[in-house]
Amino acid sequence: MEIMRLVVTGPVGAGKSTFIRSVSEIDVVDTDRRATDEASLLKPKTTVAFDFGRLQFSPDMALHLYGTPGQARFDFMWDILIRRAHAYMLLVAAHRPREFHYARRILSFMQRRSRAPLIIGLTHTDQPGTWDEENILIALGFPNPDRHPPIVSVDATEAGSVAVAIMTLLQHYSQVQQRNVEQPAPHR
Amino acid sequence: MAITGHLVEFSLAEIFQFLEQGHKTGLLTIFEQPEPEPPRGREHYIWFNQGRVVAAANRSDHRGLISSLSQRGLLGDRAASRLAQSCGPKVPLGLYLKSQGILDAEQLKLLFYTQVMRQVCALFSVVDGWFHFDSKAVLPCDEMTGLSAPATEVTLAGLRALRNWSTLEDKLPDPMSTIVALVEGQPNLRLNAVEWQVWEFTGGKDSLQTIAQHLQLPIHKVQEIVFRLNVVGLLEEVPMMVLEAETTHQHDEEDELQPTSSLHDSTVSQSFLNNLVSFLKHKV
Ligand SMILES: Nc1nc2c(ncn2[C@@H]2O[C@H](COP(=O)(O)OP(=O)(O)OP(=O)(O)O)[C@@H](O)[C@H]2O)c(=O)[nH]1
Ligand SMILES: [Mg+2]
Repeated sequence: MEIMRLVVTGPVGAGKSTFIRSVSEIDVVDTDRRATDEASLLKPKTTVAFDFGRLQFSPDMALHLYGTPGQARFDFMWDILIRRAHAYMLLVAAHRPREFHYARRILSFMQRRSRAPLIIGLTHTDQPGTWDEENILIALGFPNPDRHPPIVSVDATEAGSVAVAIMTLLQHYSQVQQRNVEQPAPHR
Repeated sequence: MAITGHLVEFSLAEIFQFLEQGHKTGLLTIFEQPEPEPPRGREHYIWFNQGRVVAAANRSDHRGLISSLSQRGLLGDRAASRLAQSCGPKVPLGLYLKSQGILDAEQLKLLFYTQVMRQVCALFSVVDGWFHFDSKAVLPCDEMTGLSAPATEVTLAGLRALRNWSTLEDKLPDPMSTIVALVEGQPNLRLNAVEWQVWEFTGGKDSLQTIAQHLQLPIHKVQEIVFRLNVVGLLEEVPMMVLEAETTHQHDEEDELQPTSSLHDSTVSQSFLNNLVSFLKHKV
């Protein structure tokens, strides 16, 4: 069995659980609980453990998706998952600048722990108060328009849109692999 | 480009960081009012050029600098207005007055300091307010001394003076994290004594908790210092476990070669990717 592991990460309420539910063929293990304090203002339920979803698309091939918990501090569980991930996606709600600071922290954590290719997915782009791509990239620490991870808009509630986002991640993964074969020095 | 938001969502420190890193030019307006709609509260204006602060005012008639000149007895109101008119359209008023021998360099600096540092630092304590950034706004030569300061410098000063940190609470670093420098060598900003002390710990060995103990400071103070040194791009918070793991990394890598964890570092085959993509295409 060949398995590819993708990690979906991002701040509280970015749409990680929804994203994984939209493509998973098995019921996503529901670890959502009533959110405490801070997050409860934002949404009634938050993920307390990892989301897990699976897409078995051939008898011996499966895609595994892991969603990070919303409120937890970085712990060993995060570490194990990110170190095993082949690629990952940072979801950011484009209309919630309050979370950009935390999203940046997640990025820095991930990049220190993993060389896996990453893309950024902007969710909630249909909501009022949405920031545009260029400005979100600056807020996430990518001021140079020529040097940043691939970025896509994704509606986590739409299976089709989620599929497109995953394909973008796969394409990026494939390109990075290619590059690594051509010039073996590990580079993102 | 225009951006609007509430300061609780995106604090002034974050706005400044954003404008600086994005090398933005334009006008940032701060509205001291709970809702974006009227009744209107007090308004404050800060102009940026390429991410640097070039002027600030709390009036929109472009007469802030002139009135500050006359308040200091440097120039009568009328004389200043007359001079302002004879000043070319693209020349900052301050520079023009200097070229006319009316102000010297020191006076100009002091003027800029009062205009920008004093006015803007006070804004960091505005909690219930809105911001609006307009990149189309024209820089007002009448309000400009011709001097400028990096946004980070203003942020540092503003956060040093900040007493009420409640809105930034959820953005403060974790007491169990450690800190690592983001710049090589010495910081390019002028730090105060206690900031230097914290800066000395950027080796990534000690948690903020430990640093606080060493420096005999309340943990909250250390968190505040780390936050402000972070938003000005000097250092970054890193979860303790990350660095611990990094030092044992080599060990891990050997472990990964064990057959039991063969998937660890493996790459996915091209046929896997092709299959998955064609499967996903059907979902679109
Ligand atoms: N309009 C819109 N709503 C979305 C989008 N993505 C997610 N949502 C909604 O946002 C809410 C939060 O989504 P979740 O999937 O629970 O977010 P999460 O990232 O798992 O949140 P935590 O587990 O708390 O971190 C849900 O009500 C989703 O239906 C999107 O792209 N557009
Ligand atoms: Mg969730």
